[in-house]
Amino acid sequence: MTGASSLATAERVARIPARPRTWPRTLGVVGVLAVLTALTATPALGGVEIDLGAIAKNWTNGADRIAQMLTPDLSVLPRTWQPLLETLQMAVVGAAISAALAIPLSMWAARPTNPRTPTRMAVRFVLNMIRAVPDLVYATILVAMVGVGALPGVITLVLFDVGIVVKLVSEAIDSADSAYMEAGRAAGGTQTQINRLTALPQTWPAYVSQVLYSLELNVRISAILGLVGAGGIGRLIDEMRGFYRYDALSTIVLEILIVVVFIELASNILRKRLR
Amino acid sequence: MTALAVRAPIAPPRPRRLAVRIASWTVAAVVVGAFVGLDIEWDKLADLPGDLVHYGSLMFSDPDWSMLPEALRQTWRSVSMAWLGALLGVVLSTMLGIPAAEGVGPLWLRLPLRGLFAIIRAVPEVVIAIIILTVTGLTPFTGALALAIGGIGTHAKWTYETVESAPGGAVEAVRAGGGGLLATIRWGLWPVISPELASLALYRFEINVRTSAILGLIGVGGIGDMLTTYTQHRQWDTVGVLIIVVIVVTMTIDAVSGAIRRRIMEGAKVRGVDRSS
Repeated sequence: MTGASSLATAERVARIPARPRTWPRTLGVVGVLAVLTALTATPALGGVEIDLGAIAKNWTNGADRIAQMLTPDLSVLPRTWQPLLETLQMAVVGAAISAALAIPLSMWAARPTNPRTPTRMAVRFVLNMIRAVPDLVYATILVAMVGVGALPGVITLVLFDVGIVVKLVSEAIDSADSAYMEAGRAAGGTQTQINRLTALPQTWPAYVSQVLYSLELNVRISAILGLVGAGGIGRLIDEMRGFYRYDALSTIVLEILIVVVFIELASNILRKRLR
Repeated sequence: MTALAVRAPIAPPRPRRLAVRIASWTVAAVVVGAFVGLDIEWDKLADLPGDLVHYGSLMFSDPDWSMLPEALRQTWRSVSMAWLGALLGVVLSTMLGIPAAEGVGPLWLRLPLRGLFAIIRAVPEVVIAIIILTVTGLTPFTGALALAIGGIGTHAKWTYETVESAPGGAVEAVRAGGGGLLATIRWGLWPVISPELASLALYRFEINVRTSAILGLIGVGGIGDMLTTYTQHRQWDTVGVLIIVVIVVTMTIDAVSGAIRRRIMEGAKVRGVDRSS
């Protein structure tokens, strides 16, 4: 009796797969996260000093500013048209130049369109380096080099856009179906002919979609480029901030929001048409 | 002769692409208009390669390596800001983003939450930092808070999009088994979405590393602060060191974090395959 039931239990136990032991891994991950957090929150090591007392003491300052921003002062609008137009022009010019540069560069950076490893690796490495530098750092340095104005802003946008467009488009080429390219090769085409006649038309939708995306990003970025003197509406943001005109500041932010939403809608329609 | 005559009418007519043509001419006009309208002395561009070589040699021919320890210290401060900002931002976005997903939260909760995310997305991080610095001053803590709050805009959006695109089988199973809302989220939703959320969290950290350098411009400390100061003083040999440090650190963090993200996502995929077979 007892023997039979224990036999049945033993059989059942044997049939249920063992619960996977995940706790050591979970513990490891949580431990690493905790240690990193503790290290970054230690001021003695150069980390961040978490000062909750300041929040408890001064939170009304922030609340006041947000309240001020919630009542936008629309009288500043007429002054914003010119810088806003400049921002839009910079965004378009930056996107256009980078779009032109991105075509050959993405062909160079993708494996199917550039089978030669050394040049592909070189292009990818340079582009990784370009992407590693934050946009406003470019702007700061370029303003110091070529002077205040829209030119450093446009160059910054071009560098930034080339980085992302080439990365995303070359990845699209890498993952695309290569049957057409094989057909081109079988027909005796040279690599350039194959790229131009098969790879390029195939990646056209991905390419246009990324260029539109970079245009959207450009409007957002060129809103702050003015903070370092690189032209556009950011100059006005910096000015209003200097005069503590937070009601005017929120008007500008609102204006940028409307423009960005409008561009997003337009590019969504274009993207849908392309598919 | 006859063969040609037969074949010619079969060829389909060239599609009329009037709309496409109008669209492309409009785009061309906008681009040309922007080029012409922009107040840039384009002839200055001719000097640019010379300038680049000139300043490039000033920066990189003899970098002032004695500044390296200070640069690394400031980089660590930036990375700390990025890490704490990512941690706090991801926790907040997960808590706010999951209720904002369709099928989880009710409509009266979803709409205001999504509105909040959209507003935060519209405000540049620098402006958020300007507001926060009235509370916590020009400290790295301000930077971390600005990254956390600024990150909610996009990250919470990614979170609810992830939740909405998750396959619903497990959720239905838990609901059919009589689970309440919390049980459904914990056992139906969380196992499905957690790999992607973890991957997105690491990606948020990568973005923050770049953004923290930007926040340095308004003076909250870190490598961006140092870079602005030395650029304004035109100490190019130090700027060279700082740029090298920024590039090396960012690329290293991207590589490590990218490898972990791939492990997370592909690990999840392999487990999925095992289950179905």
